Amino acid sequence: MKAFVRRFMSSPEGIAGALVLLLLALAAVLAPIILPGDPAAIVGRPLLPPFSDASFPLGTDQLGRDVLTRLVYGAQASLTVGLSSALVAILAGTLVGTVAGLAGGLVDEALMRVVDAFQIVPGFLLALAFVSVAGPSLAVIVLAVGLGAWTGPARLARAEVLSIRERDYVASARVIGMHPAEIAFREVLPNALPPVLSLVSVIVAAAVLIEAALSFLGLGDPNAVTWGGMIAEGRNLLRSAPFLSIIPGLGLVSAVVGIYLFGEGLVEALSIRGRRA
Amino acid sequence: MSIPEISRRGLMQSTAVLAGAAVLPRWGFAQDAMQGGRLVVAADSEPRNLNPAIVASNGVFYIASKIIEPLAEASFDGPDGLAPRLATSWQGSDDGLSVTFKLREGVTWHDGKPFTSADVAFSAMEVWKSLQNIGRTVLANLETVDTPDELTAVFKFSEPTPLQLIRNALPVVSSVLPRHLYEGTDIAENPANNEPVGTGPFVFAEHRPGEYYRLTRNEAYWGDGEPKLDELIFRVLPDRAGAAAALEAGEIQLAAFSQVPLSDLERISANSELEVVTKGYEALTYQLIVEINHRNEVLKNLKVRQAIAHAIDKTFVVDTVFLGYAAEATGPVPKNAPEFYEPDVTQYPFDVEKAKALLDEAGYPAKDGGARFSIRLLPAPFFSETRAMGDYLKQALAVIGVEAELVSNDAPGHLNAVYKDHDFDLSIGAAVFRGDPAISTTNLVQSGIPDGTFFSNQGGYANPEIDKIIAEALVTVDTQKRIELYDEFQKRVTADLPLINVADWGFTSVVSVDVLNVGNNPRWVVSGWADTEIAA
Repeated sequence: MKAFVRRFMSSPEGIAGALVLLLLALAAVLAPIILPGDPAAIVGRPLLPPFSDASFPLGTDQLGRDVLTRLVYGAQASLTVGLSSALVAILAGTLVGTVAGLAGGLVDEALMRVVDAFQIVPGFLLALAFVSVAGPSLAVIVLAVGLGAWTGPARLARAEVLSIRERDYVASARVIGMHPAEIAFREVLPNALPPVLSLVSVIVAAAVLIEAALSFLGLGDPNAVTWGGMIAEGRNLLRSAPFLSIIPGLGLVSAVVGIYLFGEGLVEALSIRGRRA
Repeated sequence: MSIPEISRRGLMQSTAVLAGAAVLPRWGFAQDAMQGGRLVVAADSEPRNLNPAIVASNGVFYIASKIIEPLAEASFDGPDGLAPRLATSWQGSDDGLSVTFKLREGVTWHDGKPFTSADVAFSAMEVWKSLQNIGRTVLANLETVDTPDELTAVFKFSEPTPLQLIRNALPVVSSVLPRHLYEGTDIAENPANNEPVGTGPFVFAEHRPGEYYRLTRNEAYWGDGEPKLDELIFRVLPDRAGAAAALEAGEIQLAAFSQVPLSDLERISANSELEVVTKGYEALTYQLIVEINHRNEVLKNLKVRQAIAHAIDKTFVVDTVFLGYAAEATGPVPKNAPEFYEPDVTQYPFDVEKAKALLDEAGYPAKDGGARFSIRLLPAPFFSETRAMGDYLKQALAVIGVEAELVSNDAPGHLNAVYKDHDFDLSIGAAVFRGDPAISTTNLVQSGIPDGTFFSNQGGYANPEIDKIIAEALVTVDTQKRIELYDEFQKRVTADLPLINVADWGFTSVVSVDVLNVGNNPRWVVSGWADTEIAA
């Protein structure tokens, strides 16, 4: 663990990413304390530009709602969706990959064909179709994004398991009569996990973007304030009040950049590159 | 060129709806007009069926009305609010059982065949009455159409039918089709539905999907010296922001139906080459309504409905959601239908305290940290204004302690949820007032309409007294008596609130200043444009 932190701290990208994410996470968690207003409340004159009124530092939108409050609550929704989707995708993917890798044979073949089937459909289309059918809500969006993202972790986990299960220590465990489930969870999985975890950043970033894209297309949760939804609402006013789209857009960009940089640090820290070389 | 007299009614119509907006009728006498020329306008959609006799909707009329003509068109100053087109006069019998149309002489179809009363009889019986969304209701009692000679058509009804209703419905219902192309074919699948043949000022030339529709001048048009234009292009521009950019770049000369977002109008009106015109939509008033599912025990309570009505700040809706391009509604008939509008109805001024008191009385007291009750709110996705109204109403209800959960759908999903599956509590909808309450207004209140009929009362509301008034007005031939019945209808509806009318809105056109005679009839955008010209 200590080595992990030391390696992470030696990566400038990782530190920068971690700082950005920390800031966003703080804003998201502390949102109800620093900005007690309801993000959906109509509080002022509509379309006040940013920096023109001290009570609305980032201005108001077309219905007179405070943009700063909405931005901060948007961070909450985006990060929640991103992390939950990644969790769903990693859990499901690792489970399927490990089972396939360890079981081999027909089970492996069948599971991998399922993975293929999911992989030939672009993740965004899958999410779009799923949300259209199931109805837009944050929970459905999390599942939808997970549905499109679990195949990467599954393939990676399977590949790792295939290589690990031939290693000597796994063979020894088998020889001493360890239960297969125990081998899977105590010997194989912990060693297969690091490369899979390095996918977290990619999935979280993709999830944040997919949620924003769904909201932009009108398939976001209408009861939640999200960055994508804010951009979509601002779209008709792009030429008269561009700040309505630019502000949440900046939020989105900083979150995604932060996540990618953090991911870089993670890859260094998990020393995935070094291991293969 | 004559300077049309500005009638009192026309003035009322143009000023009532959109007070405060730049209402500048342009009659074109100030500039010299050039004969001919090409007008390029934006089209935001490509209707699957271009036949207005079957699909009487504004999206179809916008293009097809230039090719296929009705018996009469709406007019600011003509008698009965009509200007003759394919019919030159109409006369109702005293018993209301027949209407006689005299038809225009010397009119030919675009393929050269003569236009006769047989075309009218065929269109009325086989298309308007049998297939058309609006004709099916208005002409339900039409039995036969007699054609004593080539220029006379006599409509015979089985029940007394008010001439006033027929007149008001003519511009929308009576698009005449060429019998020789449709008779004996599957009318709904006829190829002429996509390459229409009519008698109108313009001839259909070609449609390039995703690009444009091209219409050319009808050299044999019956109107003296009309049409003025040589060519009319509808450029397909589904993107709203794109239409504004194309106008500013001079690539198109007109964008209608508020295709340029309201929020861009301020910037556009600073451009001296372009003009924002609100005239030409007076007979196409859209109504922002809150539809209510009366199957819900809570909403069944009149006090709850009254509380919701009091919770809505109509001034805010008009000023903010519509940026001022709308008028506050008082009831089911809009102000700019002066023939029917009744101002003396129950009003629900914005009053949060009163709304709360009504909910207390209804037995839904305020709860600490909780809502009095929860409902599902479905905003129609058709307009950005209906969606914004959903966000607003959710907040307005939160203020009086009612929790609303927004449910968003795509257009077919919304139509099915509200009008077929009745899977809603409140819905933000858009209705259209089409010149007479019997055409598309009473059906928002009337009971007994089959499930799945879009834009009708699907909220399970049933009021036998109102139903009786609606049924009686439908067969009342005397105009004054009929108007009184609809006054009573408006009073009852606003008192019992089967639905809540929030705002009435017209659309805006953004037009190049070179285009003349814009907005000179109450359905201008969906009329023939025979007198439209381009300044030299």
